[in-house]
Amino acid sequence: MSIPDYMQCAEDHQTVLVVVQPVGIVPEDEFFRIYKRITSVAQVSIRDSQRNLYIRYRHHYLPENNEWGDFQTHRKVVGLISVTTCGSAKEWPQTSDRFHCQKDVFGATLYDSRLLVFGLQGEIAEQQRTDVAFYPSYDDCPDVEKRVEDFVESIFIVLESKRLDRATDKSGDKIPLLCVPFEKKDFVGLDTDSRHYKKCCQGRMRKHVGDLCLQAGMLQDALVHYHMAVELLRSVNDFLWLGAALEGLCSASVIFHYPGGTAGKASGREPSLARGQGQAADTGKRHRPGALTANGISADTSSEIGRAKNCLGPEDIIEKYKESISYYGKYKNAGVIELEACVKAVRVLAIQKRVMEASEFLQNAVYINLGQLSEEEKIQRYSILSELYHLIGFHRKSAFFKRVAAMQCVAPTIPEPGWRACYKLLLETLPGYSLCLDPKDFSKGSHRGWAAVQVRLLHELVYASRRMGNPGLSVRHLSFLLQTMLDLLSDQEKKEVTQSLENYTSKCPGGMEVLTLPDGLKLPPVPLSKLPIVRSVKLLDLPVSLRPHKQKGLLENNLSSKSPFIYSPIIMHTRGEERTKKIEFRWVQGDVCEVQLMVYNPMPFELRVEHMGLLTSGVEFEALPAALSLPAESGLYPVTLVGVPRTAGNININGYHTSVFGVTSDCLLDGLPSVRTSGCVVEVIPSLPRLQLSTSLPRSAHPLRPSKEELSSSVSVQLFNGETQQLTITLENIGSEDLETLEVTSKTCNTKEKLFGEFLSWDLEEAVSQLPLKPGQSVTLTVNVKVRLDFSGGENLLQDLNDDGISVTGLPISSPLRQVLKPRAETKALGSESSKTDYNHVKTLEAVMTFKYSGGAGKVEGYYRHLSLGVHVDVEPSVFFTRVSTLPATRTRQCHLLLDVFNSTEHELMVSANNNQDLVLHPSECQRPAAGSSRGEPSLYRSMSLVGWRSRWLSSTFTRYPSRTRKPCATPTPNYWRRRGFTPRPP
Amino acid sequence: MLTRLKTQVPLFSMNSYTKLGEKLKLSGLSLASTHSHVIRLGRHNSKMAVCIAVIAKENYPLFIRSVPVQNELKFHYTVHTSLDVVEEKISAVGKAMADQRELYLGLLYPTEDYKVYGYVTNSKVKFVIVVDSSNTSLRDNEIRSMFRKLHNSFTDVMCNPFYNPGDTIQSKAFDSIVSAMMVQAS
Repeated sequence: MSIPDYMQCAEDHQTVLVVVQPVGIVPEDEFFRIYKRITSVAQVSIRDSQRNLYIRYRHHYLPENNEWGDFQTHRKVVGLISVTTCGSAKEWPQTSDRFHCQKDVFGATLYDSRLLVFGLQGEIAEQQRTDVAFYPSYDDCPDVEKRVEDFVESIFIVLESKRLDRATDKSGDKIPLLCVPFEKKDFVGLDTDSRHYKKCCQGRMRKHVGDLCLQAGMLQDALVHYHMAVELLRSVNDFLWLGAALEGLCSASVIFHYPGGTAGKASGREPSLARGQGQAADTGKRHRPGALTANGISADTSSEIGRAKNCLGPEDIIEKYKESISYYGKYKNAGVIELEACVKAVRVLAIQKRVMEASEFLQNAVYINLGQLSEEEKIQRYSILSELYHLIGFHRKSAFFKRVAAMQCVAPTIPEPGWRACYKLLLETLPGYSLCLDPKDFSKGSHRGWAAVQVRLLHELVYASRRMGNPGLSVRHLSFLLQTMLDLLSDQEKKEVTQSLENYTSKCPGGMEVLTLPDGLKLPPVPLSKLPIVRSVKLLDLPVSLRPHKQKGLLENNLSSKSPFIYSPIIMHTRGEERTKKIEFRWVQGDVCEVQLMVYNPMPFELRVEHMGLLTSGVEFEALPAALSLPAESGLYPVTLVGVPRTAGNININGYHTSVFGVTSDCLLDGLPSVRTSGCVVEVIPSLPRLQLSTSLPRSAHPLRPSKEELSSSVSVQLFNGETQQLTITLENIGSEDLETLEVTSKTCNTKEKLFGEFLSWDLEEAVSQLPLKPGQSVTLTVNVKVRLDFSGGENLLQDLNDDGISVTGLPISSPLRQVLKPRAETKALGSESSKTDYNHVKTLEAVMTFKYSGGAGKVEGYYRHLSLGVHVDVEPSVFFTRVSTLPATRTRQCHLLLDVFNSTEHELMVSANNNQDLVLHPSECQRPAAGSSRGEPSLYRSMSLVGWRSRWLSSTFTRYPSRTRKPCATPTPNYWRRRGFTPRPP
Repeated sequence: MLTRLKTQVPLFSMNSYTKLGEKLKLSGLSLASTHSHVIRLGRHNSKMAVCIAVIAKENYPLFIRSVPVQNELKFHYTVHTSLDVVEEKISAVGKAMADQRELYLGLLYPTEDYKVYGYVTNSKVKFVIVVDSSNTSLRDNEIRSMFRKLHNSFTDVMCNPFYNPGDTIQSKAFDSIVSAMMVQAS
């Protein structure tokens, strides 16, 4: 007896063993269908005697084990049911022969046998035979169960007769010595007449009768017999059989105490119990009194010992089991019996919830040596140990043994390693190591578990699944390992894991689908949200020029509909709102929208992320994936993900999509509590046209002075005072919508300078007439830029002009007749200060042109866009009036006003005044033009008419002549001339 | 009776596992160590623990040190499985009188090579000490005093305001106390 039956439990002692086997060729599935129907008859209540017979079916049983049948009768095969297919009458004799051969295998112990023949019809099938049943087919055999019940009853009759036969044996008769197979040779030549031998025989027989009584459903009798057997055998130190008698005692007591069985939920008895009597719980108790009276058992046993005394208490059961196991332990050849006894005891203890003692029994079972075990047996043994530990609630220990079993499946000594089985067993160990393959469980807080062991287990899962030929599983497990254990891996391990992940994904890319194993276990997807780690998600507004604005009137309507109150102190704010908070700005359908992520790479090497894109809902969204490469252990790194909403509505940014090491993952922000975000819902409005603005003037290098408005672009130009420049603005519709409305406004920036006339002027009529503007078309607008500024008070400049000692009467002509000669600062550093003073001569004029436009569906909703163009003009002085004097005219009422005009540019200028002749002023020339005349009181004239003059001068046309001799210098200044040795001509 | 060892043939042969280990890169899996290992420890006249672990209330390790460093994973398994017994013992006592419970749990379970002892503080932090089973000179009292020392040192660690309860223990003082209790690796 070498192969233990780990599934045994104490109540198996009361069963009779029936072997069901196929004969000849029987399709496996058909056989097991019949087998299942046969096994449903697990309990038969016997007519007339109120007793139950329990049957244990096996479809495979070693004849070798059958030899232990005398030792414990439940190991004895007493019934045989053969299932066979027989196509024709011709085959019948052969089939019949085979059946008889099979009967011979267990021949010595069989009480009865049956043959179920399927497929045979005709003459032979008509015969009425008790030991053979004929059925036309596997589907047409309604009375199989009935036949089996009849069969069981016939077994019972034999059993009962044997029991009575043995039980009533007179002590005077010669009792045969029962023995186990390995004892046989020990008794050769032993004195059979000795008292010791006789007692031995008696004791063993008592024990045997006890077994039979138990099987025949007479629990009390069995107990009595066992007690007697224990006494007899103890006196002769027949330890093996003493152990068996004690175990029998235990079994009977267990059956008494725990009628529900100790095998746990796996017990096949439950349904049949319900079927049998419907009173499963008290069957044992109810039958006991009957058992004592109904069967003329010898009077000595029944009267001798009371019922309560016979049955062991729960404590005693364990004590006796311990004793019994210790006796078995004395015999090397009884290892299987000992092991099985341990298993049975553990099951009992599990029911008693005496976990610690159960674990001691199991610990002992681990050490029982059964000689050379085959690999398969080892696996079986570890599995059952694991199962038993699980039964007593030692989940970690259970997982440990299951893992050992898994490793045994792929031991190098096995020619064909069972990776599949190994993998399956490993999966079963997961709960024991408190691992769950759903990454969501890990995202809550930091990882708390037995990391070293868990990492190992995951590695093993990866390896086993790879060897199993399922790289998809390997990828899933490796991703899980990376995702959940990242903080616990060393740099070297990180490298190795990612390398192997890349290897696997080259064969089978990892995705987001749920993997379902053949046994129904589902492996949820593992998004690699830690590669890279995303710290914050921020939705970005559109660039200034593309931002949509709502028409004022409509906006107010919108606000008022939100709440009936203008103001309420109650702030409706809930915690969950933050994430779903709506953002102030809006996106526009059809325009590229941006989301900025702050990411960092926790790996000690460069991380390549491909196809990084946004995951959205609510609006059709075309994500434009990006690829990025993050340096090793980078700090926070901004990444901008872009996409185009294709429809209008509220868009929710749910998460992002990445592809790292060949694993694509969809990381949802809901599952990432560590990600900071300022809201993920934004409104997308219907599409609007898009204008591109280009100008004839160069773009401005320097931005405008700080102003509240952000500008989409700006131009800058340099003009002399009084000059007019045409600025051609081309507006091209680069969007996909028609441009329907266009409004242009301008605003001059706050300036202290006094501005004369209109700075910017345009005629919109022509442009508007071209509307609506189709996509791709463009419209031009000409803007006149006129600069007329007051350059009076430019003493600095005049001083500079006069630095060669030329006396000039300055313009602040408070007393024009007085020679004003301001001494120059003695030590004027030409190089350094000059630039500063130079700058001062240039005045700046700035304005913002705003182009408001709209069209398409967005216009219907009341949205518009605006472009703004900054115009920056550096105004340089052109002419100076260096001296003012008057000459009496021919008429007394008139006088000549003489103005010395100085051209400070390097261009030829034309100065015209009140229909006088034009005066051509060459660069850096001073002339005294024929000035206009005025009339009035001298006192008034001084103060008033000059102003009038000046303004007239300034409003006079000013044409710049292109220089014929040299190109104009950027900003010709007095110092510039001075450096070239030029001396302004004295007036 | 139940702890009797049948050691005719080791149940789990080391060979098969080491080969498997090479194949699977498993170093930690073995129920039995080789005899040479036991002898080596014996030669150094070991009197102390081979592995000491501190386990948090939620049953994850706060600290684990073992002497044969190269086979640390094996001790991880040993300590991990011993938690079953610890939990069982706590729950068994816990029902009766939780406050008067003895902290020392005694022998948790013997393996072929080691004896595993347990100790639970009132805050359910567990200490596990693994000693070599060939080491017969170690008395129960000595084990108790080892646990008491460990507990004192652990209390010191907890008193450190910079220690975050639940984090792995990195205290040097604690480490040195543990080292003093461990078998000196050759």
